[in-house]
Amino acid sequence: MTPLVALVRKEVAILFGSPMAWLTLTGVALVTALLFFDHLRLYNQILFLYASTNMGGFETDTVPVYVNLRDQVFLPVMETLALTLIGLVPLVTMRVFAEERARGTDELLATTLLTPNQIVLGKFLATWLFVVLMLGLSFVYPATSVVRAGLGLPHLLAVYLGLFGLGIALASVGLACSAFTANQLLAAISAYAVAFVFYDFRWTASFAPEPVARFLDAISLHPRFGAFAEGLVRLGDMVYFAGYALVALALARFSLEQARVR
Amino acid sequence: MESDEGDAGAPARAGASVQAVELTRRFGDHVALDAVSLQITAGESFALLGANGAGKTTFIRLVTGYLVPSSGEVRVDGISPVTDARAVNARVGFVAETSRLYSELGVRSFLRFAAGARGLRGEAARHAVARALGSFDLESVASRLIGHLSKGFQQRVSLAQAFLHDPSLLIVDEPTSGLDPAQQAEVRRLLRDVRGRRTVLLCTHDLGEARELTERVAVLHRGRQIALGPTAEVLGGADPLRLFRGEPEAAA
Repeated sequence: MTPLVALVRKEVAILFGSPMAWLTLTGVALVTALLFFDHLRLYNQILFLYASTNMGGFETDTVPVYVNLRDQVFLPVMETLALTLIGLVPLVTMRVFAEERARGTDELLATTLLTPNQIVLGKFLATWLFVVLMLGLSFVYPATSVVRAGLGLPHLLAVYLGLFGLGIALASVGLACSAFTANQLLAAISAYAVAFVFYDFRWTASFAPEPVARFLDAISLHPRFGAFAEGLVRLGDMVYFAGYALVALALARFSLEQARVR
Repeated sequence: MESDEGDAGAPARAGASVQAVELTRRFGDHVALDAVSLQITAGESFALLGANGAGKTTFIRLVTGYLVPSSGEVRVDGISPVTDARAVNARVGFVAETSRLYSELGVRSFLRFAAGARGLRGEAARHAVARALGSFDLESVASRLIGHLSKGFQQRVSLAQAFLHDPSLLIVDEPTSGLDPAQQAEVRRLLRDVRGRRTVLLCTHDLGEARELTERVAVLHRGRQIALGPTAEVLGGADPLRLFRGEPEAAA
């Protein structure tokens, strides 16, 4: 076992030793199920209305094109799941570095053969694994859309690639925030602040000069995820999410170095 | 008392040497360690003594590379932890205070992690963990969570992880802090057993512990080194507690 693998295993063990991880996983599974069935109920009610007004029973020709499983159930559920990630991911990331500092185990890590780069990478890898598991749990109900709505597996995979990118970006921001403090609450609050501010800058379009608004839109998380939700897999969007992760890695690494010389 | 002589005439012993030259560390305006110079020879048991806030922990953090000196330098076997922390850490076994463990991990899991993080793999790692569990009487609690153990057992776990990679320099920070008398005696016995087989740097404010476990001692007061020499000589005065008040002469 290399030092990096040992660290990842330790991080995963500690992550699953914490009730917060299980609460988060339960939260994701619950939210996805509730959202899916709620939207499905609404969709069925709309269909019933169309069927009732025609008096002759269900006639698919009379149902507008936009009333379909994809637009009424699948996409809204995925949009809300993306917002749910913002709410839940910082709860998992807040402790990763902050707790080590608070209880002094960062000193223990510093006396092993792990380099600061490996410490940062190991903690990020373990957290990203958790994000993958979290999204895996949410996969069951949307997957039924593939079967029932003829959505197509490529579209579903595109959406999950977008969710994965978003999850990685949010987790990376959360980890960077955790690396700068020994206070878990502060780590979570700052991660929420960054995530919500960067989620969608389109509200600035009404008053910001056009180049600024365009730039802010370009660095927003939501439009990037929106493209994946539409089934579009673009290299630029993937690079964007990877850029978030790299900047966060660099910031976390910087904070470790600062701790040595502060 | 400020002589800095090791066992110059004695045969070479196993262990790493530590050399600090004008070692200084500031935190903003506060000088935590002020131009400390000392040498610890291979195989020596050495105590850093001083009241809380004297600079003992800062010194060991500089030795392990956890902190970078503001000025001066420290070397372990001639290697600077600033430029090559990995090479230094390969030689160092570090025992922090009791609470600095992962309370949510089991004892065996923690030791496996510690072995892996120190570069031990496969059979070597399994053997090192089994040996540590046996040597520190931890087999009966190997599956229990560290957070559920008594402080005495936690300190044994802390000692066990420090020995996994057979370090040539053992750095022990306040090893008996917060332990009951029986647990203190147990930890001291474990530390006594390793004397001579590796270099021991013991950081303590307990005079009895320093007398019992070390050959030489340096006394720090508010970051300054106020005494250095054989333990029996430095702590042999009528009122050695004066050292904690920054009055070296009276104890000499």
